[in-house]
Amino acid sequence: MYEGPIQDLIDELSRLPGIGPKSAQRLAFHLVKAPAEEAKRLAEAILQAKERIFFCKECGNVAEGDLCRICRDESRDRTVLCVVEEPKDAATIERAGVVRGRYHVLGGAISPLDGIGPDDLRVQELLERVEREGVSEVIIATNPNLEGNATAMYVAALLKPVGVKVTRLASGLPVGGDLEYADEVTLSQALEGRREM
Amino acid sequence: MRVLWVELRDFRNHAQTRLEAVPEGLVVAVGPNGEGKSNLLEGIAYLFLVASPRTSTSEPLVRRGAEAAYARGEIEAAAGRVLVEIEIPARGASRVQVNRSPVRRKRDLRRQVRAVFFGPDDLDVVRGDPAQRRRFLDEAVTSLWPLKESAVTAYDKALRQRNRLLKDWDGRGTPAGLEVWDEELVRTGSLLTALRADAVSRVAPAAEQEFRRLSGYGLECEYRPSVAGEDLAGAFRARLAERRADELARRTSLVGPHRDDLALAVRELGARAFASHGEAWGAALCLRLGLAEAIRAELGERPVLVLDDPFSALDPRRQAEVARGLSGRGQVVVSVADEAHVPEHADAVWDVSAGRVTVRARTDGRRASGVESGVEQGRTPGEA
Repeated sequence: MYEGPIQDLIDELSRLPGIGPKSAQRLAFHLVKAPAEEAKRLAEAILQAKERIFFCKECGNVAEGDLCRICRDESRDRTVLCVVEEPKDAATIERAGVVRGRYHVLGGAISPLDGIGPDDLRVQELLERVEREGVSEVIIATNPNLEGNATAMYVAALLKPVGVKVTRLASGLPVGGDLEYADEVTLSQALEGRREM
Repeated sequence: MRVLWVELRDFRNHAQTRLEAVPEGLVVAVGPNGEGKSNLLEGIAYLFLVASPRTSTSEPLVRRGAEAAYARGEIEAAAGRVLVEIEIPARGASRVQVNRSPVRRKRDLRRQVRAVFFGPDDLDVVRGDPAQRRRFLDEAVTSLWPLKESAVTAYDKALRQRNRLLKDWDGRGTPAGLEVWDEELVRTGSLLTALRADAVSRVAPAAEQEFRRLSGYGLECEYRPSVAGEDLAGAFRARLAERRADELARRTSLVGPHRDDLALAVRELGARAFASHGEAWGAALCLRLGLAEAIRAELGERPVLVLDDPFSALDPRRQAEVARGLSGRGQVVVSVADEAHVPEHADAVWDVSAGRVTVRARTDGRRASGVESGVEQGRTPGEA
């Protein structure tokens, strides 16, 4: 549609997840019109990220060195591991400040349709970590969808012989939500997981 | 439940059609083939389903030369009036507003308003392969309980995941993680099986009764699930274990609701398959009427019936029987190609011609017979 560099930029941007051709076009023209400084900063940030960010040898989270900030932190509870699909999930839980232990990032969820099997995830590393580090509880915090559930089931079955306590985040009604708008699957899960008062 | 008014803009061949004061009772759209009767009924059904019962893509719904089609209307339900406004772009998702606020999920609308659609394609439910009957079963589940739609989609997803795993397996040992997909298939499949069984137990007796009234003899309508038993999940696991070797050899899932069927046969001198086209047509129609009755029993309110050309394949006696049976069912919108098929007791008649609709005037509380005496409504200014 356009010529030369501007079309190249649009093509590259539209490869990004969540960016369609129209958004790519808008972003491209924004960058072209923006001061050269701004564009340079963005380009530099992308390059830096690629060069300096690694994955933590322990947990698989993003890190600046061998170990991530959380794995380096001696004050964290070393007996509790929280298993998540992606680094962003660890960040979400970390923002809430509810897990005092450390994380283990699987790098996705089992999904044959996407060509992802158990061997493509950091499951073996999890098993080794649990045995090596004397972990007493593994909290599985994969997404509450089909693939997340399948992954949770797989991980739980694998950990069972090790003798570690395995728990799964509860599914149910969102706090501050309205019963009326809950779908039936969520409601029935909330009912299954009800607690005595 | 009742459609109060409906407006279609750039919807198939309807440039602008607006019908006011749609009455409760029997409404008949009449006109030759290809003039827009079915399109009108499709538009009405779209207001309820946010989907076309005739096509899965939206492109054919948009009138040639237009960018988007619009369907608007107001539906009166026991719980209150529901104003539905839908924009259907030729490409991309439809935008739906209910009472002037956008809705996120189709089921948020579908649980408020209910309609049952019958069209010529329904013959496939009777004559076609089992997949057509499974589609009917799932439609029955989702129209009885719109919020259970996720049960249908969850099973479909689990099945596709498991099938892909089996297909991509390199043939050594067993596919990695097969046990967890077994469990997902069992969990979602047991739920779907139970829902389909429940739906059939409500629809079948009503459909059988409709068919008996129409034909004088009965209809067998029985759910044949792939997995059955008191403990569904247990039975499902046992069947999977039995078929494991076969599944690995054929690399696909052989147990589960995707192998269900709905057995349909007439009960004249014992059950046999359908002898005539008319019988099959009647059975297809009666399944829809049975579904409407099941929804009425569940909801305590009649859904709107939208019947596209229900008479065409029936003999005159059955035509008369169906026509007689259409009163006292709440609002029923029917299309017919032949003037002779317009039932005497119709509460309104719409003449459809070239994508335009003219409402016939009524005299003495009954409709007039002549087109000339009709008062024009719903016509775009300047288009006549």
